[in-house]
Amino acid sequence: MTKNAYIDHQEFEIVEGETILSFIRRYKEKNLIPTLCDAPNLEPFGSCRVCSVEVALEENGSVKTLASCHAPVAEGQYIYTSTESVKALRKNIIELVLTDHPLDCLTCEVNGNCELQTVAAQVGIREVRYPEGDNHLYRMKDLSHPYMTSDLSKCINCYRCVRACDEVQGEFVLSMSGRGFDTHIIKGLDESFMDSDCVSCGACSQACPTSAISDVFQSKAIYATHSTRTICTYCGVGCNLEVSTSNGEILSITAPYDAEVNQGHTCIKGRYAFKFYNHPDRLNSPMIKRNDKFEKVGWDEVYEFISSKLSAYKNEFGSDSIAGISSARCTNEENYLMQKFIRTVIGTNNIDGCARVCHSPTALGMQRTFGTGAATNSIDDLKDTNCIMVIGANPTDAHPVTGAKLKQFAMKLDNVSIVIDPRRTELARYATHHLALRPGTNVAVLNMMMYYIISEGLADANFIANRTEGFEEFKKEILSIDIDKLEAVSGVNRNEVREAAIAYASAKNAMSFHGLGVTEHSQGTFTVMQIADLALLTGNIGRRGVGVNPLRGQNNVQGSADMGVQPHQGAGYLDITNDDVNKKYNAFYGVDVPKEIGYKIPEMFDAALDGKLKALWIIGEDIVQTDPNTKKVIRALEATDLVIVQELFMTETAKYADVILPGASFLEKNGTFTNGERRVQAVRQVVEPIEGSKPDGQIIVEIMNKMGYPQADYTPDGMLEEISQIVPFFAGITWDRLGKNGLQWPVAKDGTDTQILHKTDFKRGKGYFEFNAWEETMELQSHAKDYPYILTTNRELEHYNCGAMTRRTANEELLQDDYLMIHPEDAKENLINEGDYVCLESPRGKVDVKARITDEVKKGILSTTFHFPEIMINNLTGDIHDSEAMCPEYKVVAVRIRKSKGKFKKELV
Amino acid sequence: MSDNLSELLGRKGIKDNLFNKMGELAKPEGAPSDDELAKLANDFLIGTANTFGTASFYDFLKPENKGKKAYVCNGTACVCAGTQDNVIDMLKTKFKAEEIGHMTCLGRCHENSAFHYNGKNYSGSALENLNTIIVPIATGTESELNQDSYSVKASGKPILTEAFTNIEDYYKPFKEALKKDSAKILEEIKTSNVRGRGGAGFPMGMKLQFCRNEQNDTKFIICNADEGDPGAYSDRYLLEQQPHSVLFGMLISGYVTHASYGIVYIRAEYPEAKHIVQNAIDELRSEGLIGNNIDDSEFNFDFKIIQAQGSYICGEETALINSIEGQRPEVRVRPPFPAQKGLFNKPTTVNNVETLSALHYIITNGGMAWKSIGTERSSGTKLVCLDSFFNNPGMYEVEMGTPLSVVVNNLGGGFKSNVKALQIGGPLGGLVPVSKIKDLTIDFESFSKEGFLLGHASIVCIPEDYSIMKLIEHLFDFASYESCGKCFPCRLGTKRGQELATKALTSDYKIDKTLFTDLLTTLEQGSLCAHGGGIPLPVRNAMQYFDDELKQYFN
Repeated sequence: MTKNAYIDHQEFEIVEGETILSFIRRYKEKNLIPTLCDAPNLEPFGSCRVCSVEVALEENGSVKTLASCHAPVAEGQYIYTSTESVKALRKNIIELVLTDHPLDCLTCEVNGNCELQTVAAQVGIREVRYPEGDNHLYRMKDLSHPYMTSDLSKCINCYRCVRACDEVQGEFVLSMSGRGFDTHIIKGLDESFMDSDCVSCGACSQACPTSAISDVFQSKAIYATHSTRTICTYCGVGCNLEVSTSNGEILSITAPYDAEVNQGHTCIKGRYAFKFYNHPDRLNSPMIKRNDKFEKVGWDEVYEFISSKLSAYKNEFGSDSIAGISSARCTNEENYLMQKFIRTVIGTNNIDGCARVCHSPTALGMQRTFGTGAATNSIDDLKDTNCIMVIGANPTDAHPVTGAKLKQFAMKLDNVSIVIDPRRTELARYATHHLALRPGTNVAVLNMMMYYIISEGLADANFIANRTEGFEEFKKEILSIDIDKLEAVSGVNRNEVREAAIAYASAKNAMSFHGLGVTEHSQGTFTVMQIADLALLTGNIGRRGVGVNPLRGQNNVQGSADMGVQPHQGAGYLDITNDDVNKKYNAFYGVDVPKEIGYKIPEMFDAALDGKLKALWIIGEDIVQTDPNTKKVIRALEATDLVIVQELFMTETAKYADVILPGASFLEKNGTFTNGERRVQAVRQVVEPIEGSKPDGQIIVEIMNKMGYPQADYTPDGMLEEISQIVPFFAGITWDRLGKNGLQWPVAKDGTDTQILHKTDFKRGKGYFEFNAWEETMELQSHAKDYPYILTTNRELEHYNCGAMTRRTANEELLQDDYLMIHPEDAKENLINEGDYVCLESPRGKVDVKARITDEVKKGILSTTFHFPEIMINNLTGDIHDSEAMCPEYKVVAVRIRKSKGKFKKELV
Repeated sequence: MSDNLSELLGRKGIKDNLFNKMGELAKPEGAPSDDELAKLANDFLIGTANTFGTASFYDFLKPENKGKKAYVCNGTACVCAGTQDNVIDMLKTKFKAEEIGHMTCLGRCHENSAFHYNGKNYSGSALENLNTIIVPIATGTESELNQDSYSVKASGKPILTEAFTNIEDYYKPFKEALKKDSAKILEEIKTSNVRGRGGAGFPMGMKLQFCRNEQNDTKFIICNADEGDPGAYSDRYLLEQQPHSVLFGMLISGYVTHASYGIVYIRAEYPEAKHIVQNAIDELRSEGLIGNNIDDSEFNFDFKIIQAQGSYICGEETALINSIEGQRPEVRVRPPFPAQKGLFNKPTTVNNVETLSALHYIITNGGMAWKSIGTERSSGTKLVCLDSFFNNPGMYEVEMGTPLSVVVNNLGGGFKSNVKALQIGGPLGGLVPVSKIKDLTIDFESFSKEGFLLGHASIVCIPEDYSIMKLIEHLFDFASYESCGKCFPCRLGTKRGQELATKALTSDYKIDKTLFTDLLTTLEQGSLCAHGGGIPLPVRNAMQYFDDELKQYFN
């Protein structure tokens, strides 16, 4: 039975529980009912009242005036949208608003795109009849911040900014102060944007209907002539961005409300940190290093130089003397081309990518347990989950939009949130359970959790029986673990672990999220398998609101592995050692490709130091700054005859190159990125590549052609057509089908995509239980005695990875330095004060970094970032890596500390 | 109105309450410091903007309150009585001007000259003994001069004003009720048809039923003891003289809704009431009438007093809920109603003091006994407060349906001096010209039919020589000062109304009548709550009945 109500005498079907406004807007044009305090991503609030309508219970019956934005529609209501009295009410309200609003529209930043202006025009204001009275036009602008601005003389008190800061970002930087006519927006303790705790997400600016809160890019001004929808380059969340341009120059970025990934939200990096794209530091010509100096050369010359060198090495030392590192910052198509170039033209499987140093254990571990190395579910499933377990991840800094959603979840008292992390991260502050384990003991704590789940009888017997294998053996091992020992090594009380385990297992739906705090360990792959086993054990797989969801770091790290940027699997994760696969590739590429597994990144360095690697081609990856054991990386580069670096900037790595190729940023090219939830989204060119640079894909195509392989020019539709024929889960992906919100792989030939994996079967058949005991990392076994502190690494919101891009934006004004988090007692014992330089020394080297004293870390634990080349924290990190996937152990470094004068700060520069 | 803030502030339960902490921190200096607000924000996982924003809302937490030592009542009754200029002059002999603040209605409307000093209210002749009252706080000398006296009488059978006997006898019906099915107890309340005494007149039984219907382990009963209407002191009477009637009503409400927490939200302007109610709660505890498993019934219930900090809007139930949480007391949209999503997003029932006090009689004598008193649709008795213009100022309990003329002439003994109108039901109530007294009876329907509002039924006299335009200015000023500022019509409209009145009173400016009625209609139709929506009623009454006096101000 449908239920109906009437809009201006016309009958329409209602949806139970919806507001009158959403009912009307479904059937009538959007501007029939003017609104000011309503916004697409905010809860109804009811402050402006201009959405008022009249409602009667019978046709032409006596009416009541209701604010349609929050009044629920009911069956049989007669709603009148435009009676004379309602129109008068709207006009009279706006007249009141204009008694306290400057009438300087012509010089206002949002002239032509101001909601107040639009509504005032719509209700037909021609005069303000009130005599001049008290007003707030004297309020001063706040221009303190590199991005955020406010001019509260323009504020109409709709609270949209306050609500966005609360309901979207969950930061509570904005509120109202005073009451009645004096009510006004404040930041923090009535301070400036710069002095407040603002995280510069810009949600308030986008929410503001006037120019009361805006940004330095004047993103609501209408002088842009073009707008392009594309995908953010900064992390695996994959925010959709709307980029405004004029005359080929980027003006500002906003977040589209109809984006399934980010629903009108994004973060400081996505929204504001784009000015790197035309920074004067951009590389603008190919260069060849001659006599220790880079000389600018033409493209023909550089291609000739590279092709003759590579051919020579290939002939003299064999194909395996050449290797490539592709970039997770680049598109799927570019990654596909790079691995294809290395495999077909060079003839080696020495191709790897940054996944090696971040989520390679995720891909491997999940492949072993489920058969597919990718997130099982989607972020949208948060709407249907009851419990989140966030382990080794700090998403409010590293994946801000997903982080904000997780924080929104964690703030609700009925939801269960478990954070497993050595640091008291922002999410941990809000979590129901925070297990603050010692770095390097994930396996210990997860085994304890599974011990309690099984011994408390909370395992899902049906799921285990029907969908898994290996459980009996696994159970036997788990039940015999030594709880006393694991409690002692992890430093987490067993009852806390037990309670968290019970909470996870008892939740109707539980989702896990993990980051590099899981993978960048000597037992990284095993930890991933345990997280997957936890899901199997409790039946949290194969439906909405559950699953194992790695928070992929770089924007396209999922895609680069999907495209075959791995030494053991080709495009589409096919096993290159398999004869049938080899035949398939040979036929498809038209040349024979090798079957022997190639070098992983750390093996490339070892090969270089052994003199076996003659040439290394690196795209968009600053291995000197970001890979562990910096000095060793540098020695490896120095030992390699030909280092080709394809980059935007002269990074630390580029300085060691023999050849520089100027690539293009994400704003300057087409293609696709695949986010952490397997969503392939269209990256659309916003501006032409800066003069002298080329899209990375085009560079590879040109060198392939130069070296005799016929490869068509780089176009996104053409490339996708090729990829869809060889990557099975891309079968139905075409450029035209991607639309606004992309498609989640696997995508069937008919274009049907997949939100949830493993609904009925696992890729490998049954889910696989495998027990692995906790083992102390060799780093601590060998060095803990002499280096008694544990240094772990983390990320800051303002900067991205090596910082090559974010340090070339105003983000640098917000965070200028790496710093060291140190517990107050450790600081005291070492006579270290806030802001002092601390000399950190590991068996590999020394660095100086400034102290920030905080109890976010436990005693004995230190944490810092590696966003700044001045610090070069990777001088400290070592060669220990995950036993299975060779992902380096960034997260556990044995160090000793002392107060210092900072002389090791610039050792490398 | 933030779901997130409700959740976060509810994490520590009601015992560890942000709003109470702010009140404590404000005591030494008159306002919490920024550092204290920042620390509270961190402790409660909210923003510094939230604690700062909340503190800035309240008269007795905001930074401007720093250094205030004495407060002069500026409620309508004291203003109309013309006593307050003298109070200020007298206080200035003891304090610097900037040390004297305002409180809006100390509930001393029956004798005026009201002021507040060091946690106590004084009125009437107390001013003559200022030297005894104003002693340095540090001396710890307690003044007894804060006692006042007023007539308390029932025109018929005393119910709400019946003399309290002793705890054992008084709570016998509660113990008996605990042995009965709570659904049956609720039926009695419904049968009585007792309607909310706070002003809206909503049937209490239905309100309790809505809350009972919600499935939730945590529910709250809130007593709205924020009697802000200038002229009203009946709640003050009940809190101070009959505290057990209020607590009894809350216990029964808890029993029928399956709520375990009772919160008495008492306005800052009634400091004595807080101590008296706390003593009554302590008595209940020592008698084993609150706590867990009360009288082996498996019913758990406990009380908490929250002291308000000076804001009239907190009498609005959703603003009150926000206030208890420690959010800014801005009015929430409805639905969701408090019964579904109230304090800390949990099912909540908010009832006025007088409504709760009715339950003792209903539970003792049955719903029909209450129903049989009063009129068909307005059952039971009502407390009516008379101010100092009456020959017999005081508080009277009358049966619903009693003619207003009986209240004015028989109980009140007529006026001491010439009065031209009565403001009944507070600033949002109607302005009744004396000529209409004969047409009204004390019940919801009679007032509404005649274009007035019974409200809380306080009566403030407007003397013959008091300018009606000044009254309009006062009403708009009050409404503007106390507006929460959330909805556009009230935030801007009350301010502009006050400005128009002031301009017309102080210059030869004539108000455009169309503009003025547009403003009133905008407030009535557009406001989010009854604050902005209610203020036009007395103004329209004034324009209707005092047209001659007002026309000089309009064109």
